[in-house]
Amino acid sequence: MPDFCLYFQAHQPNRLKPYSFFDIGKQPFYEDDLLNAHILSKVSERCYLPANRLFLDLIEKEEVDVRLSFSLSGVLLEQLECHRPDVLESFQKLVATGKVELLCETYYHSLCFRASGEEFIRQVELQQAILKRLFGVEPSVFRHTELIYFNELAAFVEGLGFSGQLAEGVPARLQGRSSNHLYRSPNVKNMPVILRNNGLSDDVAFRFADRGWASYPLSAGNYAQWIAQAEGDVVGCFLDYETIGEHIEAEHGIFQFWNKLPAALAAQGVGMRTPSQVLTEHEVVGEYDCHEPTSWADTTKDLSAWKSNPMQREAVAKIREMEGAVKSHREEALLHQWAKMQTSDHFYYMFTGTGGDEEVHQHFSPYTSAYDAYLYFMNALSDLQLRAEERE
Amino acid sequence: MLGWEFPPMINGGLGIACLGMAKALRQHVDLTIILPRTDPSFQVNEVDLVGLNHLEEREVEAVKRFEGWDTVEKIIHVPVALDPYGDAASHQLSEEEIRRAEAGRSEVDCWMESTGLNLFQGRGALYDSDVNARVVAFARAAVAIARERDFDIIHAHDWMTFLAGMEIKRQLKKPLVLHIHSLSYDRAGEEARGWVYDIERQAMYEADRVIPVSRYTGHICRDHYGVPEEKIFAVHNGAEAVEAFRSKKPFPGKLVLFLGRLTGQKGPRFFLEIAAKVLEQTRDVRFVMAGTGDKLRELIEYGAFRDVGDRLHFTGFLNRDEVNHLLSMTDVYCMPSVSEPFGLSALEAAQFEIPAVISRQSGASEVLTEARKADYWDVDLMAKHIVELISDDQLHKEAVAASRQDQENCTWERAAERILPVYQSCLPCDFGLASSPSVAHA
Repeated sequence: MPDFCLYFQAHQPNRLKPYSFFDIGKQPFYEDDLLNAHILSKVSERCYLPANRLFLDLIEKEEVDVRLSFSLSGVLLEQLECHRPDVLESFQKLVATGKVELLCETYYHSLCFRASGEEFIRQVELQQAILKRLFGVEPSVFRHTELIYFNELAAFVEGLGFSGQLAEGVPARLQGRSSNHLYRSPNVKNMPVILRNNGLSDDVAFRFADRGWASYPLSAGNYAQWIAQAEGDVVGCFLDYETIGEHIEAEHGIFQFWNKLPAALAAQGVGMRTPSQVLTEHEVVGEYDCHEPTSWADTTKDLSAWKSNPMQREAVAKIREMEGAVKSHREEALLHQWAKMQTSDHFYYMFTGTGGDEEVHQHFSPYTSAYDAYLYFMNALSDLQLRAEERE
Repeated sequence: MLGWEFPPMINGGLGIACLGMAKALRQHVDLTIILPRTDPSFQVNEVDLVGLNHLEEREVEAVKRFEGWDTVEKIIHVPVALDPYGDAASHQLSEEEIRRAEAGRSEVDCWMESTGLNLFQGRGALYDSDVNARVVAFARAAVAIARERDFDIIHAHDWMTFLAGMEIKRQLKKPLVLHIHSLSYDRAGEEARGWVYDIERQAMYEADRVIPVSRYTGHICRDHYGVPEEKIFAVHNGAEAVEAFRSKKPFPGKLVLFLGRLTGQKGPRFFLEIAAKVLEQTRDVRFVMAGTGDKLRELIEYGAFRDVGDRLHFTGFLNRDEVNHLLSMTDVYCMPSVSEPFGLSALEAAQFEIPAVISRQSGASEVLTEARKADYWDVDLMAKHIVELISDDQLHKEAVAASRQDQENCTWERAAERILPVYQSCLPCDFGLASSPSVAHA
């Protein structure tokens, strides 16, 4: 019977305002502060606060051994510190129970690894610093933005001293094997990868609210039974924290589901484990060979959510090209602004694919179209270029 | 005079041109302008504006009594939905449109059953998919109104009013002068055929005189529509003096502007190619595409593909103040139109002391004699012109000075002085048009 490894991602980007050509050179503020604060508060009320309360109660009741993990992006923690210290405090209480593991990621929730190892390390160190400062913890397991993973990255992450990494269980890379085991990239010496169980994660992250789904409404008992019946050592249930109450509204019974799940799992004899526990309790069973980047995004499970059209590719490339100019100034505000524009969401909004993926992208976008998202971003980037050049 | 657009309800340059022309002509003739819509709060001294949305009871009765088409049946065989100033070449007919086209005859009958005046009420765009119904209803009403008035010459502006012009000429035996501001050739390309083209061609055939806004357009009338050269009298538009000013850019480097609808006719894709060429040579310049249109998204994505997204900016639609603000910062105006009968915007830019780089396929290139020109497809030459103007301040100054003389020649008074002899030439006796105001217009 497998263990149940639960990991939630919590993240909010700094969305840009409709930054026009006429703002270039005049307006050094790019972000829509009101909108960002509004969304942060909305998600706090609908998800972060009630869900944190729920898990804290479950842990404190001590009826079963509740274990879970979070990755909280640096830009989210920054926003919480500024606008919602009460929410930050509720995360701190959860972590203080010792039952909740915090994972590491890039502070800016960025895509930066391939372009610059130096910038990647800087963002990882910033994240480590803020986790140390706010929670007093030193994370040992890494997950990259949207679960991006590939051999080269795994080797690099191992070199930074992490003991494990999370990744999407991509069927093409598993080649018929189960995602419910620890694997290892051929590029690493030792560091295992814990894979996301695609089907069982999507059951609670997406299908849960689908009234047309045969298993709707999904009960904690049924779900626990599915977990118990799964093969392998561990079921990686990895999903956005905002699925609870925000993407999936309370009316679907999502809070009751999570409230009952730990007891239901215990009744089936399934144990909840943090990623670090999984790494110590299980053995690697095989090689997971991933040459090209994979992620948990869209149906393609690759980088196409952020880099599939010319607008995305240009925007990603142009922000990266500025690294030298920006860093030459050694000016904190400029560096921070530049890095915030590396947040993957900006490029996510510029997606122009079709079908279900496009709908999901549009659902999260604050703009009327991918083209607007691109234009506002590029105008703001033009201004940032001027600021960087001015000081050169 | 028969008009379609008119201030304050404007879609493009047609309304502005008609107003400028009317103000100059009223010094010499009595002028009545029949329009689909007028705004009673907008009056022009000594010009009688008749809007179908504000007809007097007497006129409405006349429209109701109207019967007996002569022209319409001959012309209307394909009344499909067209966007007259859009890119009709790329317009795919829907099944609904084809069905309507096939049922065209009976639809005309339907329009004639009522006055059609309801089509001019409200604030909807004049170029909606029912533009054909409006064109027919306008013709019908204009004939009825013209019958009630005394006048000597019919002066009709662009295809929307040509049906009315032809019908009035046939019924009242008055000379017909067509003013050509834009042709389906410009908007939809050489191969364009259909209702609009047929009306244009038939009207030019029946007209006594044809006044294109440039020699360029005159050649199209002659070569593409088969109009005998002796009927064609090109008269360049004037440019109203604008309050021009200069303001400082909030960023370093130069600014090159494209201003206009983002449709194939205006050549926005060529502008983008030109921008990419210039940026290969200097990064110290920004390009702005102001305006919107059916090519917007395609252009944005192509700009990203060409890797110029941080130097090529799209503003979307701008109001007049925003346009002026933009002009006041602009260093070079670029108009790479594929086919531009006139191109008033190049002259407006000149008033803001902006040298122009324009396509030879434009009327403005005849007026701005000193402007730098290239064929619209010759992006290398266009780019060379721009690089020279933005990198050599002396050349820039000379270009600005040269365009001042051009602007002085480009007034509506000059235009009126050239229109009056055209009127005179199709009247039976000498009205002394250059001096005495004795001719009325329907």
